Amino acid sequence: MAWFTDRHCFLLAVTLYGLSTLYSAFLWRKGFRRDEWVNYCLLAAGVLFHTLAMTKRGLTFHSCPVNNLYEATTFLLWALGLACLGYSLLPRFKFLAAFTAPVLFTVGVFALMPSLDPPHGPKPDFSNWLRSLHAATILQAYGAFGLAAVAAGMFLMQRHDLKFHKLRALLTLLPSIQRLELITFRLVAVGFALLTLGLAAGSQLPRHAGKPYFSDAKVLWSALLWLVYLEALVAYKLLGRSSRTFAIGIIVAFAYLLLTFWITNIYSGLHN
Amino acid sequence: MNVVVIGLSHRSAPVALRERFAFADDRIPGALQALRASGLAAEAAILSTCNRVEIYAATALAPDAAGVELKKFLVRHGAGQPADADDAALAGDEIYFHAEPHSLHHLFKVAAGLDSMVIGETEIFGQLKAAYELAFTHRHTGARLNKAFQRAFNVAKHLRTTTNIQRGSVSVMSAAVELAEKIFSSLAEHEVLVIGAGETSEKTARALLSRGARGVIVTNRSPQRATALAAELGGRAVPFARWPEEFEQVDIAISSTAAPRPILDRAQLEPLMKRRKHRPLLLIDIAVPRDIDPAVSALDNVYLYNVDDLQGIANEYLALRQEEVARCETIIAAKVAALLAAKPPLAADEPS
Repeated sequence: MAWFTDRHCFLLAVTLYGLSTLYSAFLWRKGFRRDEWVNYCLLAAGVLFHTLAMTKRGLTFHSCPVNNLYEATTFLLWALGLACLGYSLLPRFKFLAAFTAPVLFTVGVFALMPSLDPPHGPKPDFSNWLRSLHAATILQAYGAFGLAAVAAGMFLMQRHDLKFHKLRALLTLLPSIQRLELITFRLVAVGFALLTLGLAAGSQLPRHAGKPYFSDAKVLWSALLWLVYLEALVAYKLLGRSSRTFAIGIIVAFAYLLLTFWITNIYSGLHN
Repeated sequence: MNVVVIGLSHRSAPVALRERFAFADDRIPGALQALRASGLAAEAAILSTCNRVEIYAATALAPDAAGVELKKFLVRHGAGQPADADDAALAGDEIYFHAEPHSLHHLFKVAAGLDSMVIGETEIFGQLKAAYELAFTHRHTGARLNKAFQRAFNVAKHLRTTTNIQRGSVSVMSAAVELAEKIFSSLAEHEVLVIGAGETSEKTARALLSRGARGVIVTNRSPQRATALAAELGGRAVPFARWPEEFEQVDIAISSTAAPRPILDRAQLEPLMKRRKHRPLLLIDIAVPRDIDPAVSALDNVYLYNVDDLQGIANEYLALRQEEVARCETIIAAKVAALLAAKPPLAADEPS
C-alpha cells in the first residue's frame, strides 16, 4: 500500500465532499424538510479520510503538517469540517453539513493542485512550541471563520424566506434566525480569539534580520484580517450594526480570506 | 366474521342530520349492549363526534343483510329521532355502509385523519381511541375489532412519522406560533403585546403562551376589556395611548383593532427599533382594515404578517397535506391487505 499516499487519502476526502455537495443541492431543492443523516455520514467519511491524510503526512515529518500551501489549506479545511461535524450534532443544525460541503469541496479541489504542494526541503523546525501554536491556532481560527460564514449564509436564507413570506422558512428543519445569529457571532468571537492568540505567538518567532516585521506580505494581510473581524465584532456588538449587515460582512470577510490566503503566502518571506 | 362500518359523517350528511344520530357518551354502553343482544354483531364500538357517527361491528351476517339491519339499528337508536324517521333516513344516501376490505380501509383513514374535515388533524385519533377504549372496557370488543383498531392506531402513527400528512399549521393561530418559533430561539424569553382585544388575537396570544411565551401585555380602546383579557391571560393591561412605549420590551405584537387607518407606520416604528437595538420583532396584523402599514416590513429585523399571509400559510400547508393523501392511501391499502392476509380462515358456518 506504499503507493497509497496522503494525497490519495485527501483526494478520497474531496470526492466525498463532492458527493456531499451534490446531495446538498438535492436537499436544497427539497427545502431541507427531512431530518437527514446521509449528508452527515458523507461529510463524516470525508473528514475521516481527511484526518488520515493529515496523519500520514504528519507522521512522515514528525510534526504538524503546515509547511506549504497544500498542507495549510488541508489543515484549514480539516478544522472547518471537524467543527461542522461537532455543531451538526446540535438539534436543528444537522443541515450545517449541507452548507459546509460546497466550501470544503471547492477549496479542496483547489488545494489538490500540484503546484501548491512542492517537495519539502529540510525537515521544518517545529521544536519551538510557539511555532506549532502559531500555525495550529491560526488555521483553527480560519476554520471557525469558515463555519461562521456558513451559519451566516443559513441566517440570510432563513431571514429572506421569513421576510418575504416563503413557506420554505417554516418547512425547513433549520434553526431559528435568532439562534443562527448567535452561533455566527460566537464562532466569529472564538475565531477572533484564536487568531489573536496565533498572531501573538507568531510575533514572538524569529524574524529575517534587517527586514521590518510589518513589511512581510503575510503579516500585513493577517493584521488586516484581524482588523476586519475586530471591526465586524465591535460594530455588531457595540455600535448596533444590523444582523443582516453583520452576516453579509462575515461572508465577505471569509471570501476575502479564501481568495487571498494563497497569494499572500507566496509573497511572504517569513512563510517560505 | 366480517368487520363492517355503518354511519354518517360531514362528507355525507349536514350537521342537522348528524346531530339527530349522535350518541351521548353515557348512552353508548347501553347502545352497544343492545346491538350485541340483538344478535346483529358479536363485537361493536361506537364513534360519535361532531363530524361523524359510526358503528364499527364484527358480524357473522352476510354484508348485505348486515347493512340493512345495522342501518335500522342506527336509525332506531340515534338521538332525537322522530317516530316516523325510519323510512326517511333509510331512503337517503347520507348513511354509508362498508364491509371488508373497505371497512378496514375506512377505519384506517379515520384514525389517520384522512377522512376529517381538516385533513391530517389529530383530534380524531384521540376520539377514536376513546371510543375503542369505552367499548373495550365494557367488553364489547373481541379478537376481530381489537386487532382492527390496534392496527388502525399503529398505521396512523406510522403515517404521522413517515409522511407530511400532519405537518404544519392549518389555522391562523398556529401559523403565527410557528412563525414565532422560526424567528426566536425560545419563546420563554419573549413577551407578547396584544393591541385590540379581538377573538383571534386572544386565541393567538393564548397559543403563544401555551408554547411558553414569557408574558402578555394587553391594550384596548376600552380599558375594561383590556383589564379583563389581561387578567384572563395572566398578563397586564396598559392604556391604549401608551402601547408604543411597550415596544422596547416586547418581541411579538398582535394587532386587531377596528381602526379605519393604520395605527403603526414606518416613521413611528423606526425610532422604536433603534431603542430596541434592532432586536427581531414579529408583527401579526389580523385587523381588517390593516392596523400596520406594510412599509414597516422594509425595516431590518421586522417581520410583518397580515391575516392573508397567515391564511396563505395555512392554505399551503393544507395543499401539502392534500398532496400526501395519495401516498397515505397506498400505505393504508398495503396495511389492510396485510391485515386481511393474516386473518384466520373462515369457519364453516361463517358467511363469506
